Amino acid sequence: MATHKFDVAVVGTGPGGYVSAIRCAQLGLSVATVEDDRPGGVCLNWGCIPTKALLRNAEVVNLMSHAADFGIRLNGFEASYPEAVQRSRRVADRMAKGVEFLFRKNKITLFPGRGTLKAKNVVEVKGPGGAETLEARAIILATGSEPKSLPGVTIDEKTVISSNGAVRNERSPKSIAVVGAGAVGVEFADVFASYGVQVTILEALPRIVPVEDEEVSKELARTFTRRGITIKTGVKVASVKPGGPGAVVDLGGEKLEVEQVLMAVGRAAKVAGLGLEGLGIQLERGFVKASATMETSVKGIYAIGDMAGAPLLAHKAMAEGVVAAEAIAGKSPRPVDYGNVPSCTYCRPQIASIGSTEARAREAGRDVSVGRFPFTASGKAVALGETEGFVKVVADKGTGEILGVHIIGPEATEMIHEFAVGRTLEATLEEIIHTIHAHPTLSEAALEATLAALGQAIHI
Amino acid sequence: MAVTKVVMPKLSDAMESGKIIKWLKKEGDRVQGGDILAEVETDKADVEMEAFGGGVLRKILVPAGETAAIGALIGVIAEPGDDIAAVVASAPATPAGAASAAASPPRPAAVTPSAPAAPVARPAAVVGAPAATPAGPGQGAQVGRVKASPLAKKIAAQAGVDLRLIQGSGPGGRIIRRDVEAAGSGAGAVAMPAAAPAAVAGAEFEDVPLTQIRAAIARRMPLSKAPVPHFYVTSEVAMDRAWELREQLNALDGQPKISVNDFVIRACALALLTHPGVNASLQADAIRVYHRAHIGIAVALDDGLITPVLRDCHAKPLGQIAVEARDLVERARNRKLRAQELSGATFSISNLGMFDVAEFSAIINPPEGAILAVGSVRRVPVVDETGLGVGRRMMLTISCDHRVMDGAMGARFLQDVKRLLEEPLRLLV
Repeated sequence: MATHKFDVAVVGTGPGGYVSAIRCAQLGLSVATVEDDRPGGVCLNWGCIPTKALLRNAEVVNLMSHAADFGIRLNGFEASYPEAVQRSRRVADRMAKGVEFLFRKNKITLFPGRGTLKAKNVVEVKGPGGAETLEARAIILATGSEPKSLPGVTIDEKTVISSNGAVRNERSPKSIAVVGAGAVGVEFADVFASYGVQVTILEALPRIVPVEDEEVSKELARTFTRRGITIKTGVKVASVKPGGPGAVVDLGGEKLEVEQVLMAVGRAAKVAGLGLEGLGIQLERGFVKASATMETSVKGIYAIGDMAGAPLLAHKAMAEGVVAAEAIAGKSPRPVDYGNVPSCTYCRPQIASIGSTEARAREAGRDVSVGRFPFTASGKAVALGETEGFVKVVADKGTGEILGVHIIGPEATEMIHEFAVGRTLEATLEEIIHTIHAHPTLSEAALEATLAALGQAIHI
Repeated sequence: MAVTKVVMPKLSDAMESGKIIKWLKKEGDRVQGGDILAEVETDKADVEMEAFGGGVLRKILVPAGETAAIGALIGVIAEPGDDIAAVVASAPATPAGAASAAASPPRPAAVTPSAPAAPVARPAAVVGAPAATPAGPGQGAQVGRVKASPLAKKIAAQAGVDLRLIQGSGPGGRIIRRDVEAAGSGAGAVAMPAAAPAAVAGAEFEDVPLTQIRAAIARRMPLSKAPVPHFYVTSEVAMDRAWELREQLNALDGQPKISVNDFVIRACALALLTHPGVNASLQADAIRVYHRAHIGIAVALDDGLITPVLRDCHAKPLGQIAVEARDLVERARNRKLRAQELSGATFSISNLGMFDVAEFSAIINPPEGAILAVGSVRRVPVVDETGLGVGRRMMLTISCDHRVMDGAMGARFLQDVKRLLEEPLRLLV
């Protein structure tokens, strides 16, 4: 069993792991990475990227179904779901190869296999070619997360699937129950519905996308319902049993027969078998506890990304990866600003938000002013034929501090960054309104919503 | 190794410039963070100036006898190999006198009709890590522009905080929201003493989360009287027994002379322990409740007022308080206080008894939550069960920060101080 010495060993090569590895290499450290799947982690291979490819297909299908709105008459068209999945695989493959290229470019050594902590500075890798030992001055843990299920519901990835199964299955069911209406749930609901699958969303909380602003939830529910998606909120899944066309979902009385069930009820940190207990690395509610510089309770061992706790977002993981790398290199990195992480959902209409919802701002005792601007009043949105949704700005009445922004509508996920930058710079409503926004753009809606918060909207 | 700029520190609220009395290190000396670099004369006192970074004192830019504006570069600490040319070049050509031209806007907290009651000598509201931040305090003022975020500017304007007095913790020393909030509430302004007395154990303070109602009060009160909403509670204390006890104590040979104010300090220290809500300070999102009574004693000087801090009064017997208070007051008058003696009070006492003042109200010295104003002990007619007689009475008025406490809290505290002074043997046990 060979022993290799590095400055840093990174276990897991998802967005947190590969970014931290590259940043370490940039800072002149020698870096080993350990991966038991393909480089890129869930994000590139099974999550963010392939689902965005599928959602793009869904968008094209939707656009074609509305071709007549543009005066384009099609003599019918065929949308092949297996080919959509195949395309998403090609996209994921290309991005994963990109990570391998970046590793080579930065002289990062990849050890395929499963990494286990053997000591404070030792990782054992059990790979296809046998076991190897890595000795490193610092270790970054970035093993990510995996889908959770509900008590008594077993994910078999055939009838009861998780997002892992959903991105791999080339066969689309006739009907599916999506359990959980967070980002993952509503994105797959969109994809399936666009391909003609009968979709029922089941959410235990009173509204879909429950972490978003209430008005956003309402708007999404309205458009989803119009597109034929059934939404049941405030329902609890008592059990999922084989039966009917595939599965019978018991909602505590009401029974729902569907071909497949997608469990999208959240994700749990992937920490089993990593050797955390042996070193006494502390957990908090199932996630690894990390300091502002991402160091765990054991000196020299860092934890980043999903395994280090909410929000479970790739971009948060990348930001933490940079902080951990710079801390290891002896710099004093600026800690991640968890209050300013944009949250994006890529269903149609898209949802993007940052900061507090109106309700949370009021609960915190803030005296708020709210500005809204609907895309129906945006020239660009009308020209695009994408007029669903709005921009909502929540600000402090006294200072104009931008407390939160909630966008639902076309390209919402691209528009949110204006406010992310603004909040980082501590801009107030005034700085936004004194910034000229190009016409015609969707971003004008951001300007108008900001003006509206000051009672000065022009176009509404 | 980083290059550390040595800048003229802000040693009191009203300070605009400082004169170097003498450098205690010379160019080429190796220094560590905490070493005394120089003695500085301010408007209030002669204060020792510490180094915030380690290395070699490479350059002294302002020689002894000259004056520099606060924030002005007066020296450079670096390793022998470091290039300091750029840093030295950034120093203004004439540091002396630059500050006198820059008028400081009025500081609402430091203004009071009963002028001597407002303790004003306090350390700089410097937050963040001075050693790690390239920009020194007042750096922005030097170049004529304060680097601050729009939100920080707005909050500062609303709270009446002077941005030039704040050190930014953002990139490049930019002042951001938290810096203004910290300066407004005084968080970070309190420099703790280098070594805590061994006799005192336990946490220095605890942060009690703000309740909704407290958060609302904390938000609204400043709008009515910015920035600290005061309320006042007055009580009359029968001082006959305390007077008698004091005369007996002072008749003892070889014992320190004890003043009425020492009785008041001791009584307040004991009462602060039982009423920690009064020994408290508003933070950004919490009320910091101190478990130790560091009491600021307002000392009138010919040309102003200074408030040296007597630490851990709750743990000191009356005799020790008398000795240490006398020493502090004397050194305050001779302007020989050390920098750490000017900061860190959790409560203050202002006594105008020697001026034959019946009663007055004092202005709170942020970040403290309260201040006690002490009047003269006067002989007044009193009526008791035996009829009309003559008694010694003293008026106490506490000014309280309404964001931190309510009237009843101040009243209960005052009631306890009164009881301790009226049963003064309690002060001896």
